[in-house]
Amino acid sequence: MNATTISHPSLLAVRRLPRSQRALLGAMVLLALATLVLGVLLGLGTALSRAGLLPMDPEGGYRLLTGHGAAVFFYWLYLGQGALLLALVATETRPQPLLALSWLGWTGLGAVAAGLAFGFVGAASGTPLLYDGTPELARTDPAAALPFYLGYLLLGLGLAAIALTALATALAGKRETGGAEWSAPGFGAVAWAGLLLVSAIAMLAVFTPPALWSAGLAAEPFDHATRWHLLFHNLHYLPLMGTVLVWYVLVRELTGVTSSFGGRFSKLVFSLYLVFVPPTSLYHMFLEPGLAPSIRVLGSILSLFVGVPTVAVFLLLTISLEQHARAQGARGLLGWLKRLPWHEPAMTALGMAVVNLALGGTFAFVLIQEKLAPLLSDTFFVPGYFHLLTVGTVSLTLLGAFTRLAPALAGAGLAARSWLRRLPWLVSPALWVFAFAGVAAGLQGLPRRVMDAGYDAGAPTSWAVLTTILALAGVVMAAGLLAYAATLAATWLRRSLASREVTAMPSAPGGPLVAAWSGPAAVLVLLLAMYVATAVAFELMQALPITAAGAAGH
Amino acid sequence: MSFDLALVVLVASVWLLLALAYALVPALAMPGAALLWGAGGAAFAALAWRIRAAERGAFASRH
Repeated sequence: MNATTISHPSLLAVRRLPRSQRALLGAMVLLALATLVLGVLLGLGTALSRAGLLPMDPEGGYRLLTGHGAAVFFYWLYLGQGALLLALVATETRPQPLLALSWLGWTGLGAVAAGLAFGFVGAASGTPLLYDGTPELARTDPAAALPFYLGYLLLGLGLAAIALTALATALAGKRETGGAEWSAPGFGAVAWAGLLLVSAIAMLAVFTPPALWSAGLAAEPFDHATRWHLLFHNLHYLPLMGTVLVWYVLVRELTGVTSSFGGRFSKLVFSLYLVFVPPTSLYHMFLEPGLAPSIRVLGSILSLFVGVPTVAVFLLLTISLEQHARAQGARGLLGWLKRLPWHEPAMTALGMAVVNLALGGTFAFVLIQEKLAPLLSDTFFVPGYFHLLTVGTVSLTLLGAFTRLAPALAGAGLAARSWLRRLPWLVSPALWVFAFAGVAAGLQGLPRRVMDAGYDAGAPTSWAVLTTILALAGVVMAAGLLAYAATLAATWLRRSLASREVTAMPSAPGGPLVAAWSGPAAVLVLLLAMYVATAVAFELMQALPITAAGAAGH
Repeated sequence: MSFDLALVVLVASVWLLLALAYALVPALAMPGAALLWGAGGAAFAALAWRIRAAERGAFASRH
């Protein structure tokens, strides 16, 4: 038997999946969009409630916050990733697009959907535990927390099933192609599935003890916070890894340009995510009072590696795009950017995702400084910066990829393409206002998990102003995301396939090697911005009369 | 050993070594850390074993 090559490196090849498997991916995309809508509405309610624009008792506000965090951070992000992961392995690793063990994929989707239902019953009926499910908040009535914990256990089982479906598919492809190497995105998808599987195991490890406790079968777990940090650490990396892998695939699909450094270098970079995950988890321990100073120093040093794989993929893509564009005649410092296909909705989403990642990454490096983490981790600095990553980077990337995936799965044209192209330009500026207001509020000490931060008129007046700005920016951001999700879902209501919307660019011809400095220069600017932001944060924090440090992890 | 397999073996090795460090170095003690990274290392080792089996099976069927 001769080795078989794979000639359809495109997300669009999901069109050739069997009908039942297209239905599986379509159901995952639609459920993901539904959870995004739910999570955005709950987040909007939380922001309005905090600003006093939506009258609500504090417990109601915490229910909104719990539902918002769980729906968006766990269900939207992971259903979206699951759909793209299965699409990638089916199209990248097999001679003909096909999922292995698709029944397991359906089982996984069913478990995640059941987990969503249980989680929301728990959030609506028991004590609102926020998305980390701290058991001590449920001490008064542990049994009422059982549905919430069962929801997470079902989610963990479902994600494990989806990851195993992906791995089985890739291994089947390996056998079918005579043991040939996977493509770079194919290998990246395998690595992504591996990390998803480990994260699912972590989720089961975190939430099994409190589930047993709430069922009356075990004692209260007192190490929940530490176990949560380990899960949460994986949940930082997993969406970012998926995001840059989707960037890699979209760049190839939208421009025809592949990495100038070759597929093996790309694989090495994707595997770096997995190499750096375990050692960098130490920085989550900075808030532990008994942590040895030497471990704090080690954690600080290791934390510097957090962004290495992401920066490497950014460099790989920008240098490849710039080299190709310059070889084709692009001139000027940023002339190559003008040649990108900005008429494509996925391209604008990807472009804004890169900008948002740079901003979010800058603030993230401020937060993981050993001296600043205890001061800022309980403040609104955290939601301020991480919305840049969860909404501005990961969500926009998933939505952009869905503009390719949804038409191919539904067999219909994309609705309102011009709107979808513009929506990232609406969402991102609103997000920047939200983020900068949140960071400013955090630097002034506004607590992040307090619904009424008025403190009987004793709070700084700036808090009220900034909270109102946060709510108004949240309204615009939510409107953009809801419109995006609804427009994508409407694809399944359309009938005809518009051919121009579902074409992948052919591979771009190779040209002479030319210098490409925009990407490295952007990284230098980013490093400078991180340095300045950290210095400013230190100065501001030292100028404030702060004597107490936070107690919860970020 | 193929490049795919080598990278997955590298990942499994790093995770298992880190699991040992979390288990054996008292200053690094975090509840659940050794178990999680160890389970992850075992998962990637199992994946490496399946990749090797797939590649060897394909090689055997060609010859």
